[in-house]
Amino acid sequence: MATEPQIYPSKRPRFEIRDNLWKWIFLVPAVAIILILLAVPVLWTLYAAFTDLHLYRIGDFDTKFVGLANFEKLLSNRSFWRTARNTVVFMLGVVPTQLIIGLTVALALNNITRGQKLFRTWFLMPLMVSPVVVSFIVGRMLFQEDIGPINDILRSFGFEGVPWLTSPTWAMVALMAIDVWQWSSFMILMLLAALQGVPPDLHEAARVDGANQLQAFWRITVPLIMPITMTALLIRIIDAFKVVEIIMVLTGGGPGQATESVTLAIYRTGVKGGDLAFGSSQAYFLLIVLMIFGGAYLVLTRRAMGKD
Amino acid sequence: MGLAAQKRVRSIISYCILGFWSFILLFPMYWVVITSFKNAIDMSIKATYMPFIDFEPGLHAWRYLFVDRLTWFLDPFMNSVLVAFISSALALVIGSSAGYALARFDYGGRNNSIVLGFMSQRMFPGALFILAFLVMFRELGLLDTRLALIIVYSSGAIPFIVWVMRDFFEGLPVEIEESAMIDGANRLGVLFRIAMPLAAPGLVAVFVLSLIGAWNEYLVALTLTFREAITIPLFMTMQVSQTGYTEWWNMSAISLVSVIPVVAAGMALEKYITGGLTFGALKG
Repeated sequence: MATEPQIYPSKRPRFEIRDNLWKWIFLVPAVAIILILLAVPVLWTLYAAFTDLHLYRIGDFDTKFVGLANFEKLLSNRSFWRTARNTVVFMLGVVPTQLIIGLTVALALNNITRGQKLFRTWFLMPLMVSPVVVSFIVGRMLFQEDIGPINDILRSFGFEGVPWLTSPTWAMVALMAIDVWQWSSFMILMLLAALQGVPPDLHEAARVDGANQLQAFWRITVPLIMPITMTALLIRIIDAFKVVEIIMVLTGGGPGQATESVTLAIYRTGVKGGDLAFGSSQAYFLLIVLMIFGGAYLVLTRRAMGKD
Repeated sequence: MGLAAQKRVRSIISYCILGFWSFILLFPMYWVVITSFKNAIDMSIKATYMPFIDFEPGLHAWRYLFVDRLTWFLDPFMNSVLVAFISSALALVIGSSAGYALARFDYGGRNNSIVLGFMSQRMFPGALFILAFLVMFRELGLLDTRLALIIVYSSGAIPFIVWVMRDFFEGLPVEIEESAMIDGANRLGVLFRIAMPLAAPGLVAVFVLSLIGAWNEYLVALTLTFREAITIPLFMTMQVSQTGYTEWWNMSAISLVSVIPVVAAGMALEKYITGGLTFGALKG
């Protein structure tokens, strides 16, 4: 990383001064834009979380600091804890499923010689589709309770139709299915890249030494793909915590509040309801949870892998 | 069992797994295609699966979309096109210049920290931004404008572009740039005439990825626009709530129109896109 090239001979000082200008012209716009559109919202939201700011009262000059009142309200708010629980349940449902599917399909993909590129290209497809369309197609149409194909097929096998969108539990399952449909591909492609980094002769050497297929997999493949797997998992966990769009389209958070995520709650209170202060405190709660979780995850996985 | 037979069994199992997952991915797409050719009668009594066998396909949804209601659909479509292309182009120029600068110049030994600073943006949940954006753009009088979306989307794409392109430019040989500069070219010329053409695969990948991101984005568009500047995803959900989820054929046709361009672009550039998608994690 420390290879900063010394490009030009030092006997051309005027030239270097002009080049020094480009150094800043290239970098400053990007830094300025990110500072304005990242730092300002982040700090403003922090400020809002400690006030009684409301969308319809901005400019009244009577915004008061309320200290930790929003956070107290948050922690004692049963509806908020419900959304927090939903979000965790969603995450716990989708991420392990995607890991299992991702590993199975990536292993299969790594195992074949003909058609690998074709499958890889096809598996990219769901990642390109907008969550709104995915939620509409997979969710609204396939899980439709009366004439949707999934219930239709279930009935033709003699089962009862499942109340996908009207039962709190099944609505959550439908949402998870949508996320798994869309994001398993991410796991597949990441794990395939990891598997392709495993030197094949290492595997063969272990087989020659008498290890069976399973032993070779656990002792050689798993440790070698672990770093990328852990990173891919972290990315998916953070994304799952932020889930909102598919919920908006499929269930709107219902039935009742059964599938409302934290982000959807922030949108509902802050944007729809105009309660910027309470919405901001929820957003910060989410951020703090993500940071603690992400930090702990990184420390723990680094330590675990260091020991191995 | 011999080794060759064992290998054959494993490859058969592998193809079965791949075939199964491909089918899972295909079925919803197949369903939306056939639904766009269905008539109301084909969806009122029971599910129908095969065109010409259990239902008679018709073009009325497509006629509705492209003939009867073209103007109604064209506005959000053009909004999406303009917003996605302009924001991605802006982000590409600004982000790749910064990526180049971070690859070639020394900023007091803090180059890596600057890149990490850019990437920290990805940690923050979108929910943290929408409230502030709503107030910011309201104060600026930019609510329900394409400009607001262009600003937000390009700022959203810049960190990723800086991150990927910096690495890409670092992999290019400096000798060509050196000799061009000795011949009297300035940095701007070097960047646009030498470095950028050499980095074209990387530029294409990040451009298409930010294009897809902007094209599919929903939460910010929902917060900042409501009539004039709505994009395709927002338009779709508005239609859904207006018609009460009943006009499946029309919604399917709209879905296809919105999905096909980006899926085609992404799959055509598969090599670069997969590289761009997995890049961050593979490096970390």
